Amino acid sequence: MTIDFAFIFEAFKEISKVLPLTLFMTATPVLLGILIGVIVAFVRIQQTKFFAPLLNFYVSFFRGTPIIMHIMLVYFGVPIIVDVLAKALKLNIQSSSIPILFFVLLALTLSAGAYASEIIRSGILSVPKGQLEAAYAVGLTFSQAMRRYILPQAFSKSIPNFTNVFIGFLHATSLAFFLSVKELTGVANIVASINLKFLEAFIAVGLIYWGVSAIVEWLAHRLEKRVTFYNKGGI
Amino acid sequence: MTNDFDIVLIAKVLPILLQYLPVTFEILVFSILFGMLLGIAIAIPKLLHINVLRQIITVYISFIRGTPILVQLFLVFYGIPALLRIVHIDVTRMDAMYFVIITYTLSNAAAFAEIFRASILTVDRGQIEAGYSVGLNGKQAFVRIIFPQALRVAFPNIANTMISSLKDTSLAFSIGVMDMVGRGETLIASTTRALEIYLALSIVYYVIVLLLEKVLKSNERYLNRYMPKEAVSS
Repeated sequence: MTIDFAFIFEAFKEISKVLPLTLFMTATPVLLGILIGVIVAFVRIQQTKFFAPLLNFYVSFFRGTPIIMHIMLVYFGVPIIVDVLAKALKLNIQSSSIPILFFVLLALTLSAGAYASEIIRSGILSVPKGQLEAAYAVGLTFSQAMRRYILPQAFSKSIPNFTNVFIGFLHATSLAFFLSVKELTGVANIVASINLKFLEAFIAVGLIYWGVSAIVEWLAHRLEKRVTFYNKGGI
Repeated sequence: MTNDFDIVLIAKVLPILLQYLPVTFEILVFSILFGMLLGIAIAIPKLLHINVLRQIITVYISFIRGTPILVQLFLVFYGIPALLRIVHIDVTRMDAMYFVIITYTLSNAAAFAEIFRASILTVDRGQIEAGYSVGLNGKQAFVRIIFPQALRVAFPNIANTMISSLKDTSLAFSIGVMDMVGRGETLIASTTRALEIYLALSIVYYVIVLLLEKVLKSNERYLNRYMPKEAVSS
């Protein structure tokens, strides 16, 4: 057997059609994850009673288990919860009518939330306390100081980490393949099975992931340059 | 699937799954060991600015970091037999375990190469000059002065790579390795109870990750024992 280069190109065209879905499956969990992450980070920094230990467990569990487990646990666990709730509240919802994509998005969002919260927490903690005191000194409230001083600085410091999370979750979407979602890896497998050309199809999908990762890194690098423009130092 | 959640089943399958824990560790230990060796080997051309070799390695590292480990698994699983067929070696009957170890080795090597390179560059150049000034040669200065300092800097990243590598082993089943997850899949087929099995698997992974984190953290503290206290936060 030799490698069929023409087929790599064919597969490339076929597989890249579902690139928008993969990007959607990446962006949604990461953006929602950042929202969750901000809330979780604040609760953990403030050490709120009851919630802080609960969220500590959430973060450590999701960071301590493989993402494939999150997808499987949500896929098999959430329908049971939905059915029980629907029965108790007499709602007309059936778990079987929920699309698989929803479970994948939910699992990846919960997972991204745990990773993002650690990044935001370390970002917030990296801003010197003097910045908050400076904000208080000019008469800002805590929430104003957070929004105008601390969070922008924390975010600009977190961009490289968020880039890694984005690329990590771009790669994690490949796990949806196990639930036969037709994203990049899923379609690659279908294209491979129909034509019995597995290596070629996976080379093609590898090139697509690689290309997208490279573009994301380049964009993040430019963004980083922009937001750290004013951080070049005093002199 | 019925609604009743069988918590007893989790306790029942845990011992069965744990029997396959050595397979997971085998993948982990070999891929980290070989990954470190290969990582050091490919960090050298980058550190010494050997031209063509350096560019090849840059492309290699970028490819590994730019593609999902699942795709890398499939590429190795289908690619290596195809490559070896060119030289007329038939490996189609080779144990899937080898392909898994090769994939994770290649993947870890890219991570370790970057970690080693960056950590060696963090050590001040004056340190090697200090080594020369007390009469050490280049090799002695590296082994006795640069390397221990670089290791201290690199260790948290090495620990992170080990832990994410441990979690990545959960995908080995996808090319047919009978590890914990692979055994879990067969248990799901025979009990038709997926949630309980995946919960049991998650518990096993979670506990191992927590234990590994603890061991690595105490090692980190040991490596940092000569550092001023405030630099060794918690």
